[in-house]
Amino acid sequence: MAPTKPTKGKFSKGKSSSLPKGASKSKSSGSAPSGISKRKAKSLALAKPGGAQKTRSKTVDGKKKKRVYTEKELDIPKLNGIIPAGIAKPKGQKKGKKFVDDPASMMAIMSVVNAEKEGHIESKIMRARQLEEIREAKRKEAEARSEVKKAKFEETKNSLKKKRKSRHSDPARIEDLENEAPEKTAKAKKKRVSFG
Amino acid sequence: MRQLTEQETKTLFEKLATYCGKGIQGLITAGGSERHVFRVQGSRVYYVRESLANLATSVKRDALLSLGTCLGKFTKTGKFRVHITALPIIAPHARYKVWVKSNGEMPFLYGGNVLKAHVGRWSEDCPEHQGVVVLSMNDTPLGFGVSARSTAEARKLDPTGIVTFRQADIGEYLREEDTLFTT
Repeated sequence: MAPTKPTKGKFSKGKSSSLPKGASKSKSSGSAPSGISKRKAKSLALAKPGGAQKTRSKTVDGKKKKRVYTEKELDIPKLNGIIPAGIAKPKGQKKGKKFVDDPASMMAIMSVVNAEKEGHIESKIMRARQLEEIREAKRKEAEARSEVKKAKFEETKNSLKKKRKSRHSDPARIEDLENEAPEKTAKAKKKRVSFG
Repeated sequence: MRQLTEQETKTLFEKLATYCGKGIQGLITAGGSERHVFRVQGSRVYYVRESLANLATSVKRDALLSLGTCLGKFTKTGKFRVHITALPIIAPHARYKVWVKSNGEMPFLYGGNVLKAHVGRWSEDCPEHQGVVVLSMNDTPLGFGVSARSTAEARKLDPTGIVTFRQADIGEYLREEDTLFTT
């Protein structure tokens, strides 16, 4: 392709020609080493004037990766939550069941249990006795009351009987009664009832 | 098969102490004879001679059905239920006893409660709802239960009144034959 080639050559030619001779010389001899690649050189050239610019642009965009902290690193005080009694386990304690097989520890448990039971039974018996006493007292009271009632009743009965006897024993009254009796019989004779 | 934990031991002893007095301590320290221990297999508790318990470790758990004397089992709620098989161990150390007359033996062995009419004699000063061992008049243990009334109250009871609620009786060996040693 004929037209491209000359242009490339032209461009390169032009570029080289556009740069001042002194500048090109100084660049090659000064800061940049001879083995540096074209791309690196370009980046370096950009960094020189705009080193600060680069960082500024990143903070403005908010693209900077934030560091993620773990909870331990942050040292946050723990929440004051409720820990159920059954779940909370003291640290440093051995896991698993604690067996009891030696007679001494079994005896210790047994004596504790026995003492507890004795106490229960004693209190039960004491309560039963107290209740029994109260019941007995109540029964006696009721009995005494009924006795008094009975006595009173007897008394009134006797007094009534006495009254009756005294009425019978009075002679005037007896006479009256005797007089009244025939009248009554006469009246009874007169009285007649007939059913059709 | 394993030993009992502290809590399990306490629960077991509390239950046994319901029926027994202080003589129960003899279970732990068998004076003279060989030492006996408590072992759990599944949920059941066995009272076993120590040498036998050591031998039983050679039998794998699934294959071991029973050993020694079964005292009872732990329920899923953590309580302990005494079985009739524990009667020979409880009866000699019983705190309160009820002797049943011969006319009351059969009703009791068929699962009935003990009525006042059937009682030959009873221990004095027995409080209400206390574990009692039921015996025949010739001192053969028939079972155990819970007193329905205190002795003083029971005296005033009419003959058909219940004196002891049945919990277990030796009739269970026949009635519960299928399930007594399996479940």
